[in-house]
Amino acid sequence: MTTIILIKSVDQAPTVREVLGSVVDPDEMIYFLRLPTVRCLGPLIQETNPMIEYGVEYRIDCLPDGYDVSELVEFAVEVGADRICIGISDRTMSGKARIDDLTESILLHDRISGDFVVGDHAIVLEELEYASEC
Amino acid sequence: MLRIEFQIRSAGIAAKLFAIDDQVVSMEIDNALPVTGGSVFLSLTVRFDDDTSEESISSQLPDVRIVDMSEAEVNPHTYYISILTDLSDASVLSLLTENRAIPHRIVGQDSRLDVAASVRDWNHLKEVAGTIEDEHGSLELVGTTQTESVGFPLGGNKIKQSMSGKLSDGQLEVLETAYRMGYFKVPQEVTAEEIADELDVSRSTLSVRLRRVEHNLCALLFGPQE
Repeated sequence: MTTIILIKSVDQAPTVREVLGSVVDPDEMIYFLRLPTVRCLGPLIQETNPMIEYGVEYRIDCLPDGYDVSELVEFAVEVGADRICIGISDRTMSGKARIDDLTESILLHDRISGDFVVGDHAIVLEELEYASEC
Repeated sequence: MLRIEFQIRSAGIAAKLFAIDDQVVSMEIDNALPVTGGSVFLSLTVRFDDDTSEESISSQLPDVRIVDMSEAEVNPHTYYISILTDLSDASVLSLLTENRAIPHRIVGQDSRLDVAASVRDWNHLKEVAGTIEDEHGSLELVGTTQTESVGFPLGGNKIKQSMSGKLSDGQLEVLETAYRMGYFKVPQEVTAEEIADELDVSRSTLSVRLRRVEHNLCALLFGPQE
């Protein structure tokens, strides 16, 4: 199984821990996909220690400046991602996970579908299926 | 099952109300009953910025039949208005139910509609969002949460039913635990620290959750904040 963890800020250790601890299994492949606004994942990786603490393989990739959500979907297709995990950084007054523009674009994208699970710190899109590009 | 919150541009009866001379601060669709012949009976709570009258509203909404209008006893400038109008005036409600989504809350303010509804899953969310976007031009997802039960639809007239559709399971758990442990009794039978321990959350997390619950209870009782 292959999982993309979308990193929107360096403060996403709770998201990473939740995903690595309760969503993925050891030996799975993790792609930390950072937004271009996130400059360095070193401290986040050191803090969560994916290989030692969770036994997963990982790679770090970055979306290009001025990226479009289609490029994220292309990346997911390219690496054969079974899951995309998106951090929850805020909640609405009624306690719902706040959906930002990027998350909305992924959720409503035509090419991608699957199961949708809302955790404490992450929205997990799993059992992903990709429609052919129109 | 997913509970979602989204915003769309004001439309239907909300847009009509925001367009009249009497300044509408907010409106909420409390209940809706379809009527044969393409009409719908709507129960609304509408807050104005000043006193108004049935005659004033009626004269400015010639296509809408006001069946009943009464002023709230406590809240100033707030009126409960029952109307008979064309089904298209509740189009977001119709689109939700036609697509088998469960509407929980439809509130109009600041020229937009805030909607809370339940959908089955991700695909259902996309179907519902697509249909509403086709009809209303744009839709902005605001929030989502996972839920085991569908909750109660728009029009539930008991506060527990209404709140069940508007608070997360976690928040209801906090409220119920605090209530059952005697937090709201005078004198208090339990401290916030003891509730936080029971729920295995920090004192500050408990405080935030309780305030959110209290805020939403107040929003339900008194309408949205200005």
